[in-house]
Amino acid sequence: METGELILYHVKPGDRVKSGQVLFEVMTDKIDMEVESPADGVIEQLVGEIGVAIEIGKPVLIMQTDTEVMSFDFGGDAPLPDAPAPVIEPVAVQPAAIETPVVASPVVIAPAPVALPPLTNPREIRAVPKARAIAEDRGIDLRTVAPTGPDHTITVEDVGGNKLSEDQIKRQAANKALIAKGLEMTRSIPQISFSRNVKSGSVELTSVISNWARVLRTRPDLNISPKDGSAVSHVGVAVIIESKYGSALPVFKDPDLQTVSELADLFMSTAKSAHNGKVPLAMLSGATTAIFDLSKYKMNSSAPVLFPNQVTSLTIGENFSGEKIISLTIDLRYLDFYDGAQLLDSLISAL
Amino acid sequence: MSDRMLTMAEAVREAMTIAMEEREEVFILGEDIGIYGGAFGVTGDLYHRFGPERVLDTPISELGIVGAAVGAALSGMRPIVEIQFSDFTAQAMDQIANQAAKIHFMLGGALHVPLVLRTPQGSGTGAAAQHSQNLEPWFASVPGLKVVVPSNPADAKGLLLAAIDDPNPVIFLEHKLLYKIPGRDPVPEGATRIPLGVSKVVRTGKDLTIVATGIMVNKSFEVAEKLSAEGISIELIDPRTISPLDTAPIFESVEKTGRLMVVQEGPSHAGYINEVIAQVSGSACFGNLIAPIKRLAGMNIPIPYAPQLEKVAVPQIADIEAAAREIVKNWR
Repeated sequence: METGELILYHVKPGDRVKSGQVLFEVMTDKIDMEVESPADGVIEQLVGEIGVAIEIGKPVLIMQTDTEVMSFDFGGDAPLPDAPAPVIEPVAVQPAAIETPVVASPVVIAPAPVALPPLTNPREIRAVPKARAIAEDRGIDLRTVAPTGPDHTITVEDVGGNKLSEDQIKRQAANKALIAKGLEMTRSIPQISFSRNVKSGSVELTSVISNWARVLRTRPDLNISPKDGSAVSHVGVAVIIESKYGSALPVFKDPDLQTVSELADLFMSTAKSAHNGKVPLAMLSGATTAIFDLSKYKMNSSAPVLFPNQVTSLTIGENFSGEKIISLTIDLRYLDFYDGAQLLDSLISAL
Repeated sequence: MSDRMLTMAEAVREAMTIAMEEREEVFILGEDIGIYGGAFGVTGDLYHRFGPERVLDTPISELGIVGAAVGAALSGMRPIVEIQFSDFTAQAMDQIANQAAKIHFMLGGALHVPLVLRTPQGSGTGAAAQHSQNLEPWFASVPGLKVVVPSNPADAKGLLLAAIDDPNPVIFLEHKLLYKIPGRDPVPEGATRIPLGVSKVVRTGKDLTIVATGIMVNKSFEVAEKLSAEGISIELIDPRTISPLDTAPIFESVEKTGRLMVVQEGPSHAGYINEVIAQVSGSACFGNLIAPIKRLAGMNIPIPYAPQLEKVAVPQIADIEAAAREIVKNWR
């Protein structure tokens, strides 16, 4: 299947929609289906034409979502932050997943591609390597940039490299506010942290993600729903990574059921897109635990922070002599002291 | 943790003492290293502690000294050769480059040459052209030799112990001006080894990466401290061994700072820093460079005798400072 015929829009520009609300219907040669909104937001523009086939991957409508794309969904009754109004780019909703509606794949959200003007012979323009990379990333034609560096060379500053845009500043503030609000909720939870040095084994981040999920899978009671605290059937590992809008927490669902190379590839591509400020909406919710890899900064934290509706949280640290340390924080309402210690022990044995 | 401050001469002597106490096969040979205690006083009282059979005064024949050491190493000993000035290794180069470095390979790995050749190098003592060179590129260009250039007493001790353990020949180049200076860090007691081939991040920073070895680490560190007051944050990396060269921390640092300056005392032409530049240029961190790579090295001339000219011929603190400031200010 390569196309789907647009049958009907259920919304019009200006409509406020809720996550899960039906946006439009498409007919394919296999199935007719309703496509739901992946997030709360406002419809901006209907792009498709009724009765006309739309290729997979092409936008059907453009909406402005309420959820911060870079943030994460605390779920349940988590309070919304007093963050500034969302200022995110429109998100194109695409019918990419309709080929496999049975397994209910999430609708893929992708940014509208930026058209790059073709560059002249790059050797005609003198620029430092990083400036070229930034220009390409942002679609800046280097012919339009006035060089201020020695020998008429375009510097990083000339392409706006070091400055945060206003949009970036706003988004970083909103992101911090959201995380801070969430952590305020967990501050009063009775909790305790354990640490242990890892003498041997692979303490690569992806290996920890996968093994930690494997350990938590043996304890379904520790993977809880944000709605009512009941057990859920998946393990969602939120990994704290850097992005241009501040900390991002993409959620890797059931990473232990993937092969090592699948997970590594997914991690690499997610980290890369997060770096550029994009995390697929489908990866913003469903976390049941969190991991922060501090060893890449050669640091250690003995007390990982608990995120809302999560019973456990891990950090990977590194001490002075380069030895890795794994620290675990547990919610004592769900786990006993010795339970928690055993959990950390199981992880380290698995590694 | 120990807080003993030693000079590099004391730290090197301590490493040799520990190695000789640990293993009977370890012995030292060289010119004036016995009763006299070494031209720079590094062997000190070792002759009196270990006797003339393990601290061997030799005739003035560098080729003979290294040849004897290679033979001893092949027959199960672990010799430590001291050559009075690195310039004199030229006399012994056949034994170093053609014998010590290659025997292991040419005999299909059947034999090893566990030999350490320690020798002082560098300018700043008014000893002129034939006693002031930095010859690390000579040795680094010979496969089969490991080349260590310590910058401080603690590293010198740990690296020398690891060099003596190494089953293959190691050239250990000590800068003369460092012999009498205590390091910034205490020297741990005991026999802790520092593995060869591991770069050290001496100081972290975000604006500029400086790669330097030997005395240039001290000079660059001073510059980094001074410029931090101006808001220029310098990350200083000391490869410690230039062969093998541990580039990963350098790449990681350049990825972060986007600016690289490499500093060496020896002449710029074909210096080891050019290898650092080549590796960075061919790695992924190249794309993160926001400034041309800056190379700061000695002039391509023999070291002059006149003290003023001797100073001008090699990078001084003021030169490193000016270059660091310029690269950070000009490239933003």
